[in-house]
Amino acid sequence: MRKVLSILLTLVIATSIFISGCAPAATTTPASTGSKAPTGEPIKFGATVTLADITGKEASNAMLLAAKEINAAGGVLGRPLQIVIADDQGKGEVGASSLDKLATVDNVYAFIGGMSSGVHMAQIPIMKKYAKITVTIGAAASPVIEAPFADADWYFHIHPWDYEQTSGYITGFKEMMTKFPQMTLKKWFIGYEEGAFGSSGWKGFQTLWPQQGWDVNGASFKSALMGGGDYRAALRQAKDYNPDAYMWLGYAADALPMVEQAKEINFAPDMFIGAPPGWPADFGKSPLAESVSLFGMWAPSLNSVSPAAKHFWDAYVAEYKTEPTGYFAPLGYTNVYVLANAINKAGTLDQAAVITALKATSYDSPTGQTLTFKPSDKIKNQGFTSQKILQWQKGVQTVIWPFDIKTADPEYPFPTWDKR
Amino acid sequence: MPIVRLLKQTKYQVIAAAIIIAILLLLWKPEILIEGIQRSSLYAVIALPMALILGVVGIINLAHGDFMMLGAYTAYFLAVKTGMDPMLAMIPAIIAFFAIGTLAYLALIRPILGSPELNQLLLTFGLSLVLEELVNLMFTSQPYKLSIGYVSSSLTVGNFTFGTFEFVYVLAAAVVFIGLHYFLKKTRLGQSATAVGQNPRGAKLVGIDVNRTYLIMFSLSIAIIATIGVLFSMRYSVFPLAGAPYTMKSFCLIAMAGIGNLIGVLWYSALLGVSESIITAIPGAAGWADLVFFALIVAAILIRSYRQRVK
Repeated sequence: MRKVLSILLTLVIATSIFISGCAPAATTTPASTGSKAPTGEPIKFGATVTLADITGKEASNAMLLAAKEINAAGGVLGRPLQIVIADDQGKGEVGASSLDKLATVDNVYAFIGGMSSGVHMAQIPIMKKYAKITVTIGAAASPVIEAPFADADWYFHIHPWDYEQTSGYITGFKEMMTKFPQMTLKKWFIGYEEGAFGSSGWKGFQTLWPQQGWDVNGASFKSALMGGGDYRAALRQAKDYNPDAYMWLGYAADALPMVEQAKEINFAPDMFIGAPPGWPADFGKSPLAESVSLFGMWAPSLNSVSPAAKHFWDAYVAEYKTEPTGYFAPLGYTNVYVLANAINKAGTLDQAAVITALKATSYDSPTGQTLTFKPSDKIKNQGFTSQKILQWQKGVQTVIWPFDIKTADPEYPFPTWDKR
Repeated sequence: MPIVRLLKQTKYQVIAAAIIIAILLLLWKPEILIEGIQRSSLYAVIALPMALILGVVGIINLAHGDFMMLGAYTAYFLAVKTGMDPMLAMIPAIIAFFAIGTLAYLALIRPILGSPELNQLLLTFGLSLVLEELVNLMFTSQPYKLSIGYVSSSLTVGNFTFGTFEFVYVLAAAVVFIGLHYFLKKTRLGQSATAVGQNPRGAKLVGIDVNRTYLIMFSLSIAIIATIGVLFSMRYSVFPLAGAPYTMKSFCLIAMAGIGNLIGVLWYSALLGVSESIITAIPGAAGWADLVFFALIVAAILIRSYRQRVK
């Protein structure tokens, strides 16, 4: 019995050492390498991210990278910039308590970061309690997030809201049908995961698509994330409907099985679109990925058309010896720069002056677009108002819309499965 | 007539009803029957090892699905690092996870065998959380998926096209069931395991090494479920929580079938798999599949309890 307990104790200690070794540092002041080293007490930005998720991990990496560059260039108001990272674990209550800690224990100047709408919703009371300048890159669910910040001059929201994204897609599809007359995208089938994300997205399609004169039908499926992963029933209903375009709303875990099962039942509509928040690491390597369209705010191929995107990419790869995989990386980088630039422009930490400077932001972001802040339907300071339409072509995510930053023309129609 | 006499028995009434339903489905929408059988087989092959542990060792292993998840990750990384086809990866997986099962039994399960059932449940629940968090820390929550051409293979009969890869799960369920059935009925170790499952004290009295039997059965169960994880990884994405929903499904199937009733696990898997397939094929009704699943579980348990009381 004693032997077993000692073995157990050894395992627990070893595991703890291993886990603490793997755990990221809670705070980091990136080292300054420039000639005009910033001095004095650091100015702190407090970031809540979900570190166990690849989006949070990459966002925090990018934030630290941005801070390192800013410090190398002299810091913020001549003082070092420090990013204090707090892991919200994807849970609302942890996100809320993290903000409290950032405000009270870490005494941060401003809140940045974010991803999940659910976590953001739980953080609303804390944000309003402290009323610090908040520049967030997360949360798209407007029904629950937008209204509480209607009067908050200190709240800056970078990520497009859900209705802005959908409106952007409509604009994009219409412009593509105009520019490429062979494209017909007027009959749609939406496969949607049966949780809140998919169901609320489906409701949006049911409202907006008929307004464009487009037919739309849909079927739900259980996402692999929730123990499902068999999409054939929804895909067969889509096949029977014979749409011009099929779009699925789900998660990264659904991506490759979805195309595999579509191939299995020989369903190949003229346009095949996936709309998960992120994509699995190996999706582009599969021959089935060819010509799958998707939505996103960034793609590595932007390096060929945007110097800001190329600079970010090169710096990220040099720093972390790995490539960023999702758009929260450039968003995290943008997040830090936008706020730091505004403080430097204001020349002071006075909140009113920094808010004025933030409102005047015009930042050439690594997403390939210039970030400015304008009122949205409800809040005063909304940043990006649409996503891009991308397409996998030869294993690379290309930008097919907006046309001013496109990196490729769309491949249309979606090639049949036997041609791969 | 012999057939009429047979049909007076409940067992054959159920078989006849199943055949009639199968024929009707084939005529109406054959994909429901085919995909239902494939789905049922996946549920069955995942549940059978849990039934083995529960029937012999008497432990509900709440980390059951997580060992499947570990097997899936093993297959993924063997494929990526060495190019090994997952079908071949089953061989090293079964050996490695038999050893892992042995270690897990010695370190964690054996010390709590005499404890109250709640302690046993809490331990395996804790093990489940540790495995999930460990994998999350090492690989993040990002899903991984092997791209294997033959996984999306299909057959076309007239205008009807259906997938053929998932018949692997049908074959796996048959192999595991027949293998376990033969093992438990025909081998000395299997018969010892059956005796231990029925009465550990009595088994010990007649000279059966109960601890060794528990060890081998637990290790065998872990080896089987991890190997099933290898097959799972070919069709489904792999991420830290990939196995957890199947732990609960397996537990529900065993609750319906009764402890130690392997054939019952097959039948109830078929009932649930085909029911899900029928529900999801009805436009607008897919969201009801879980409700039907749990309603069938409750109904099955209530009927079995009633029949036991009547006896």
